[in-house]
Amino acid sequence: MKEDKIYKDRRYRINELRANNEKMTARQRTLKAIDFKEPDRIPIDNWMVSEIKKRCMDYWGCESEEELLAFLGVDIRDNYGPSYVGQEFKKYDDGTVDDLWGVRRKIVTYGKGTDHEGTFKEVSWSPLEHMTTVEEINSYARWPSPGWWDYSKVKQECARWHPEYFVLNKGDRLDRTAQLKPMMYLRGIQQTFIDLAMNPEIVECIRDHVVNYFVEYNPKVFEAGGKEIDMFMMGDDVGGQRGPLVSREMWKRYFADGFRKYCDIAHKYGLKVMYHTCGDVFALIPLFIENGLDCLQSIQPQATNMDIKRLKKEFGKHLSFQGGMDIQQVLPLGTPEDVRKMVKYAADNAKAGGGYIFGTSHNIQADTPMENVAALFEAYHEYGAY
Amino acid sequence: MSTLKQLAEYVEKGKSQEIKPLVQKLLGDNISADRIVSEGVVPGLDAIGEKFSKFECFVPELMVAALAAQEALTVLRPKMTEGTLHKSMGTIVIGTVEGDVHDVGKNIVSMMLEGAGFKVIDLGVNVPTAKFLKEVQYQEAEILALSSLYTPTRLAMKDVLQALKSQGIRDKVKVMVGGAPIDQAFCDLIGADGYAPDAPQGVKLAKRLIQAKG
Repeated sequence: MKEDKIYKDRRYRINELRANNEKMTARQRTLKAIDFKEPDRIPIDNWMVSEIKKRCMDYWGCESEEELLAFLGVDIRDNYGPSYVGQEFKKYDDGTVDDLWGVRRKIVTYGKGTDHEGTFKEVSWSPLEHMTTVEEINSYARWPSPGWWDYSKVKQECARWHPEYFVLNKGDRLDRTAQLKPMMYLRGIQQTFIDLAMNPEIVECIRDHVVNYFVEYNPKVFEAGGKEIDMFMMGDDVGGQRGPLVSREMWKRYFADGFRKYCDIAHKYGLKVMYHTCGDVFALIPLFIENGLDCLQSIQPQATNMDIKRLKKEFGKHLSFQGGMDIQQVLPLGTPEDVRKMVKYAADNAKAGGGYIFGTSHNIQADTPMENVAALFEAYHEYGAY
Repeated sequence: MSTLKQLAEYVEKGKSQEIKPLVQKLLGDNISADRIVSEGVVPGLDAIGEKFSKFECFVPELMVAALAAQEALTVLRPKMTEGTLHKSMGTIVIGTVEGDVHDVGKNIVSMMLEGAGFKVIDLGVNVPTAKFLKEVQYQEAEILALSSLYTPTRLAMKDVLQALKSQGIRDKVKVMVGGAPIDQAFCDLIGADGYAPDAPQGVKLAKRLIQAKG
């Protein structure tokens, strides 16, 4: 940590609040919260794009990401799983690169020349898009194999955070346990929606390849992790801004079984399951619970029906929550006071009885002013204490 | 059932394959392209839009209906130059703003606007501000429709609005905005003329904006 006065002054408030509030380790705190008990303060998770991480490090005088997370009192440490040792991802002349699924991706820059410039890795070519039969899809040469990974370092990578921190096995955004997302990458989003409406046999075929892969892969990860993984996270966006992307019936028909299998495997290894989905999924939450979910992540407050107060009241006995901080309006466009109010609202309405982890509804984006990011973390420590 | 009603049902149910022969038949019966759109395509899209608004159907069903309408329009589009529908409904230039390559929502909106009778010029994704300006002027568009999926990329919408102003053509075109991170407050903040939360409401908004323009 840089010890110049300016950084020390900026760090003072968070350090002071933490010294007053914290009476247990990050791991103890988070385990308690997901077990529906009240710890010393609400645990904190952190999702940020790399541009914001860099800005935070500059602002608070941290010399590494590890220092930043430790200073901010972030309780959860991410584990990205085993190391990829399969065939090298092919690079193409147009700058695109294959991913795990054989989907070509390109780097797209936004906000060129502005203070919020950044990049995203976007799909540029979906290999199954123009296939018309189940046979063609079955004979796709690039279905991934759990044999493409080296699991030998998972345990030591998780163990390095113990006993202090809580370890969440979440994979990388592009190979995270899911069903619909890989289908959309492989087939294209538009074609996936058409398939869901018109081509059930193609949906089932792609889904089975995806589910079978994760059903074989995840036990190897959990086995390799020994007792050093604290929770498993999967992620599959099924919510839009104003409601689920698909009907309850459609979710039940195509995705309930896979969801259940993913949860059952984690539970067999003694792990609770966190599930990320953007958007309004209120109508689907009873199905998530029925199929084994422990913790719902995102809780996007600008989406219809995702008010944390209501969710806690309706589902808080069965489900814990992580998220609830608005990255769409309040963080990028609001004032530090708006941010504080948002944090207080979530704490007031979700902390009783445990079952709540502070977090943003997705990565804090590059258009967020630093004063709002600072206000967010200060407010976490101010309003999070039990 | 009249064949125009049949067409509306095919559009609503997303039966793309049945559409082209039926449209050809209607044209063969000397029904004008404008009438086929107004009495076949539009009621079909209105019906699915209504269901979507009431959560009786979701994105997959809306998507296939919009695509079915497109099937009809690929046949009808060249013939619509003879009619007055495009002129009375107006021209819309639409695209996803610079830095953003997401087009699923924008495509549904674009297809539904065209299905409603507007002349739609879809510029695709990652569209530079200068290109929007050029097309709005070239097409003499009544409406410019802008889409984005991310919060940082939505800021490019602001650039488009500013450029319209600095070119002195802001009052010549109505600007509507949409996409997941857009709401009425953001629309007001950047000075756009209207926001809609989904495609069916986007069509209603476009109709209102045209009326307001007079």
